[in-house]
Formats: sequence, structure tokens, C-alpha cells
Amino acid sequence: MSKVSLTVNGKAVSVDVEDRTLLSSVLRESLGLTGTHIGCDTSQCGCCTVHVDGRVVKSCTMLAVQAEGSDVMTIEGLAPSHDASGATLHPVQQAFSECHALQCGFCTPGMIMAVAGLLKDTPDPDDQQIIHGLEGNMCRCTGYVNIVKAVKQAAVTMRA
Amino acid sequence: MTFSRLEDRRFVTGAGRYVSDWNFPGQRHAAFLRADRAHARIVSIDIEAARAMPGVRAVITAADTAAAGFRSLPCAAPIPGKGGSALLRPERPVLAADVVRFVGECVVCVVADTAIAAQDAVEAIIVEYEDLPVVMTAEAAVAAGAPQLHPAIPGNVAIEFETGDPLAVAAAFEGAAHVVSLDLHNQRVVGSPMEPKGCLARHDPETGDYFVHVCTQGTTGMRAQLVATTGIPDEHVHIVAEDVGGGFGLRFNAYPEYSAIMLAARLTGAPVRWVASRSEVFLSDEHARGVSSRGEVALDAEGNFLAFRFNFLNDMGAYIAPTGPVVAVLSIRACLAGVYRVPAAVANVRLALTNSVPMAAYRGAGRPVISYMIERLVDQAATELGIDPVELRRRNLIPPTAMPWKTVNGLGYDSGDFPAVLDKALGLADWHGFAARRAEASARGHLRGIGLATFIESTGGGASPDEVEARFGDHGEITIHAVSHSHGQSHETAYAELLAAVLGLPRERFRLRNGDPAVRLAGNPTGGSRTMHGVGSALRVLADDIIAKGRELAARALEAASADIEFHDGVFRISGTDRSVSLDTLIERHAGGPERVFDTRSSARTGSTFPNGCHVAEVEINPATGVVSIERYTAVDDAGNLLNPTIVAGQMHGAIVQGAGQVLGEHAIYDLETGQFLTGSFMDYAMPKAVNVHGLVIADHPVPTPTNVLGVKGVGEAGVTGSLPALMNAILEALRPVGVTHFDMPATPARVWGAIGAARSGEGRRFAHA
Repeated sequence: MSKVSLTVNGKAVSVDVEDRTLLSSVLRESLGLTGTHIGCDTSQCGCCTVHVDGRVVKSCTMLAVQAEGSDVMTIEGLAPSHDASGATLHPVQQAFSECHALQCGFCTPGMIMAVAGLLKDTPDPDDQQIIHGLEGNMCRCTGYVNIVKAVKQAAVTMRA
Repeated sequence: MTFSRLEDRRFVTGAGRYVSDWNFPGQRHAAFLRADRAHARIVSIDIEAARAMPGVRAVITAADTAAAGFRSLPCAAPIPGKGGSALLRPERPVLAADVVRFVGECVVCVVADTAIAAQDAVEAIIVEYEDLPVVMTAEAAVAAGAPQLHPAIPGNVAIEFETGDPLAVAAAFEGAAHVVSLDLHNQRVVGSPMEPKGCLARHDPETGDYFVHVCTQGTTGMRAQLVATTGIPDEHVHIVAEDVGGGFGLRFNAYPEYSAIMLAARLTGAPVRWVASRSEVFLSDEHARGVSSRGEVALDAEGNFLAFRFNFLNDMGAYIAPTGPVVAVLSIRACLAGVYRVPAAVANVRLALTNSVPMAAYRGAGRPVISYMIERLVDQAATELGIDPVELRRRNLIPPTAMPWKTVNGLGYDSGDFPAVLDKALGLADWHGFAARRAEASARGHLRGIGLATFIESTGGGASPDEVEARFGDHGEITIHAVSHSHGQSHETAYAELLAAVLGLPRERFRLRNGDPAVRLAGNPTGGSRTMHGVGSALRVLADDIIAKGRELAARALEAASADIEFHDGVFRISGTDRSVSLDTLIERHAGGPERVFDTRSSARTGSTFPNGCHVAEVEINPATGVVSIERYTAVDDAGNLLNPTIVAGQMHGAIVQGAGQVLGEHAIYDLETGQFLTGSFMDYAMPKAVNVHGLVIADHPVPTPTNVLGVKGVGEAGVTGSLPALMNAILEALRPVGVTHFDMPATPARVWGAIGAARSGEGRRFAHA
């Protein structure tokens, strides 16, 4: 067992975990942040995508102990203010809803975290950069058509 | 107005609640030991070491399920077989007792304090097997001397169906000027919804009640199957479901794991949760398609179709899944001759058992099998006869003036304007500009092809009426209960918008509960693209029933006769006066209190609808790499009236890309000698990515159906039914100039490159399924 201390969505937390525990398990099981989803076991689907120290990371591919001292942001912490009642959404969250870029919603948190990261590094992506940026995230419902549209809309909003 | 769905906020903020998000105090976790071989007798199972592992609470085998009185998982045929024959039913245990019949079949269930501890204990179980010979293809399964899977099913054929008139067809072929035939393979695929399946069961020993949290497309079918398997009385089985991460047909049936988890909850006295890994999903989710087929068309000298004859041989896997026979035969029966005037047609369907995962529904559920057969055959006939494929179709389409149309095997289509749909698609796709685009591609050294499909679907009529219920809360909220479960189809928004429009209330007033065990309704699971015409019609009746109640209350409030009260835009008014009261006011006055006067349960029963369309695909192939690129894709669909066009377009996008996935790469492959599953992860199974479809144009040509009050037709699956044949016709059209005459899906770069090379070197021109 190890003790891991990290900051999650701005809050300092400390958990005792088996050494083999994945970051995704700590987020979901220890901290109850179930917005981070597990869709595969080979790092392909991207449903578990979070930000670690500002970088896009698949949390099922990182041991919790590797996140010691890190600043982690999950989907629950993305919106500027995230109280339950009518709080503001992040521009990527807003664009996903307005462009109908989600159906069942399972891939959505990971997809949104990946896109938020993409737009931070590439504020004005062209089609190829968007497609490349989405390579690590799978969606089975939308055919990606409206997801690409949402990325473009969010990019415009965020540049404004 | 900016688009948004009522369900979106919780999904984009991570507040959705899927099965793996539920947690209860004292919850334990389960893991399954699965068969690691395709066909073997179980000699012994040693669970002692596993039982002694830290944190292990129970190790459950077939002995325990037998002691609990568990029975075989259910299955049935939707219609009698040829000559009135019945389905030969294989025994399918929850946990394998004597024999395992596919890699991934459940053998032992372990319950422990953590999921990791349960998995560790699984690895400590020792099973001794005695291998049996395996049979991995339907063709091999029906061959003489094939290994036999089930004593009850000699020859490995569970049933043979026939629809149509074989004698009339034989006579038509006798007198035909031309006969064209085509062998096709519609490969096995894995539906792969993004949420892996899971189950959490709680048992109350006081009442005997089970609460089963599960990925489902609808509680009624799920509950009925669990009751049939476990023998637990219906009134004690309560399905709880909130958000479901995709389904596509795979969430209809109660997987054996779910019954095992119910038993685990009872034996351990604790809530027990199991969530499949993606590897387990690949090994145990129902697979789909897997159909070998031969189609023949007889034509007269002018190119009029005289008869169709189809033979389908379905790989059903090692057992018959409850929806398996339905998928195999009903769509073929309903859409036997597609959109064409054909005087005679017949189809024969045989269901064969192999040592593989059972086969069941996946988006389209048989329509992509029959549409793919018909539309590839029509293109083959056009090629062989030297007739333009558009002209050949046009010559044979059922004209709109012939609606309602009685189909060749005695069923019917109620409405549709197939020539208009065709013309609109050709225009939007710039069909006639293709030659120039092909020449331009050719100048770059690329092969360009165009292809089309004119197709029809039959959407689900439903096994029971659809009931809906409205419950009015104390704060103005109106909760709608229905069976048909959303796993991405936007029910929450579509229902609310439908009711809001009729009742004149804001859509935000409505909440949807699909899986509330406290409200038991009759109804059908989501499937067969039927929810809007089934549940939607019931909601329309519900709205009318609520208005009728409101009218009586308004008459009292306004001191008028109810016959003099009209309702418009949320307001009741005495005709010809300005005296009025709003529905909202009446709800505020009367909905609360013990009488709950506005609470209403309504129902509707609707038949099938027949969505149809014309899809045109245009592809480009780089002969140096074999990579197929979808350059343009035009879909014109008649889905009747559209309630929310953005949601409809989203359904089309998703279904077309799922079709593109099967055409371009998806292929569930077993090793033919060992029965091991070779494509068991997203590294091995080629899911479609954002790059797959360019230039997608979605348009509609609505012909409202008279068969339901909304005039809507199903829309969830048409994209697949159209895209399989349209895309493959385009790909083959691109490959014909280099000499390829036949190609089976999937058109992976390796297979396309191989086909081009073989054709150019003269080694072969047909690239059939391996």
C-alpha cells in the first residue's frame, strides 16, 4: 500500500492505495468522481481522459502513485463554476451540447477533456489537426460528424 | 434557437449515472472465470485455492446455480420454421456445467471485497478440460461429419425458415431471359457500445426482492428473461436503469452474468457489482451479422425483375440468443423484395451453431443483411447485362401510385415514393457529374467509384402495447414513465418536446424515467427503430387524455359546458369568448393532493413502419496503399414526419458511420483451428474513427405514414441499411476498371491492395471472404 497525495479539481486529497491501483480507479472509486469513464483496457477509447498538470492523460494508463503531487482536473472540474444549478459550462461543453455532439454520453467526458486540451495547444485547428486530435478517443454513436463541428465551434468561442 | 437536449447537461458535466457509477454500502465485487477454449468437456474445477484468497466472499459454480433452481437461458423462434418445424433449443446454462462451447463462456463467478481481489481469485481457479473438436464457420457446421455442439440439435441446424413461394420462383427462373447470381458474405462484427456491460444486484432477504441495476434497452424484456432463467417470481425482480452508454441491439437480452450476479447478491447478503472489461465485452457481448448468402435474380429481356431467390446461412454462435432468430428471419420476411415490383420471391434461412459467441441484434437487425443482398445483386445484374444501375432500379421500383403495396409474400408497405427519393438523392449527389470527378481522380492515379442503394426497412411493431404514465409533482414538474430505454436516442428531449408542443407547456417541465422499478408498465424495449412511432404515439394519446381532463376542469372553472371549451396553445377558452383558463393554472390548482387528478396512464399499439431511402456513396482508392476514402456520401431518407431534425440527422450520422465501420474495417475473427478469438481488443478490432466519412449530406423526403397518429417512421437504423450496399457498390465500381469483379466486406487496405494486385497480375478477379 502507498499513500498518494494530489490535487483534484483544486482540492488537496490523500488516499491509501495498492501500488497497482490506476489513477482512474482512485478518481472513480476513492474520490467518487464517476464522470471519468472506463471504456476499454488497452488505452484506445479515451473515455477516461483527464488533465494531469495541464496535460491530457488517459487516467487508465497511469498508476495512481505516478500522480503523486500532481494537479489533476476531471470533467467535474472543467466548468468555471460547477454548482448543480445552471452554472456556466466550459465552451467545449457548451459546443458539444449545441452541436449535438453527444448521444449516449459515455465517451463525452473523455472526449471533452481531450478537446479542451487540444484547443489549449492548438487554438485554431484545421480539419486534419482536429481528426488527429480525436484519434485517441472513440465514439460509437455520433459518427464524429457533430464532434468535429463542436470542436470548431468551441475553438471560435475560445479565441473570441 | 440554439439546439440542446435536456439530457446533455448531466452528460457534459460528468454527472450521468451508468451502471458502474452506482455504489451501495457494503458492496462486493464479482469477476468471472471464462472458458479459455472453444469446445471442451469440463473434467474438474478446483476452487479451493480461490476460496482461501483474502477478501473472497463466494465462489459460485454450476452446482450453485443448479441448487438455486436456475434454468436454461430462454430462446424462441418468432415464426414457425419450414413445414411448421419448431426451433431446436440448445440448453444454455448461466455457468457452464459439463461442456464449454465458446471462448469466453462463463464457468465460475467469484465475489470478493474489491474487483481486484475477485480477479486475483479467478486466476487461482484450476479447471481441467478435455478438448473437443471445434467448428468455427456455419458452412463447416452444416457439413456432413461436423463436430456436434448440442445433443438436441443434430446436424447443428436449429431451424430452417422459408418465406415466399418457391414454386412460383422456380417457374419464373425457367422462363427468364437472364439469370444473375451472387454469393456474398456479411461478416461477423462486434457492436461495441462504449459503456462495457455491467450489473449490480441487491437482494432483500426480508421481502425476497431483487433490485438489478443493469445496462438495458428496456426493463420488460430484461425482467422477463431474468425471471425465465432464475425462476424468481416476476414481482420480486425489479430492474433499475438510468443512463446506458450505447446499445445498438446488444442490451436487449439478459446475459448469463446478470443471473449469476443476482445469485451472488443473495448468497453473500451484500450488493454485488460486476463491470466487464473491454476484453470481456469482446469475448461475451453478442456478436452480429455473420451471414453467408446466395442471391439470384431472374430478368426478362427488358430488364424487368421476374423473381428473386435467396439462401441465407446464419452463424448463430454456440447458443441461440433470445433475439437471434428474430434478427435472422423477420427483416428478411418483411423486406424480401426490397423496393421492387417482383412477381415472385423466396428466401430460405438456416440457423447453424458454431463454437463462437452467440449472435443477436446489432443496428439494423437483419435489414442490413437483406438490403445488402438485394442491392449488391441489382448492381451485379446491371453490370452483367450492361444496363445503367440507376436505370435498372428505376425500371423496377414500386410506383407511389401502387401504395399501399402488398408484398410478394403477402405482407405490405403502407406508403412511400421511391422514385422521388431516388431522384432527390441523384440530384444532391451530382450523380451525373461523377464522370468528371472520376477522370480527375484518375489523373492523380486514384480509382474513383460511385454506388447507390435504394432500400426499405421494416421497423418494429412491438410485442405489446406501449404504456406511458405522467405523474405531476408538487412543484410543477411532470415525470413521464415509459419502458423503451434511451441509450443515446434522446428520448428525454424528444418526449418532452412532443408533449410540450401539444400541451403548450415548456419542455423543461418534463422529466423522463425509463427504469423506475416503482412504476411497472407494459411496453417494448428500444429496438427496431420503433420508439417514436410506438411510445411517441402513446405520448400523443397521453397528451390528449390530459387535455380531456383539463377540459372538464376548465368547464367547471369557467361555468360552461365542456363541449364549448376549445384548447389551443396551452389555454382552454369558451369558444367565441375571451373567457379562458390555462392548463398550467389548472395543473397548479388540481394536480396536487391525494387525488392526483392529472396523473394519467395511456397506451397505444402501433404496427411496423417502412422507412426507405436512397443513399449514394462516392469513394476513392489509392491503388498504391489500398486505402479507401469516402469522398462524398448523400443520404435521402423517407422517415415520415420529423419531430426533431437535428436528432434525426444525428441518428443518420451514427448509423452511416457504423455501416462504414463494417465496410472499411470491422471484422470479428476467430482462429478456425483453435476457436480462439483473434480480434479481442480495440487494437485488433478496427472501430471507425473521425476520419472515415467526408462530405456527408443528409436530406429527407417525408411521406407521412397513416399507420400512426404522428405520421413518423423509424429512423435509428436506416443509415446502416443504406450504407452497407451503397458503400460496397461504390468500392466495387472503383475496382472494376482494374479487373476486380467481386469483393466481400471488409475493404481493409490490405484486402483492397491485395485484390488490385491479384487482378492486375491475372491471379484472380474475385476477392471473396476468407
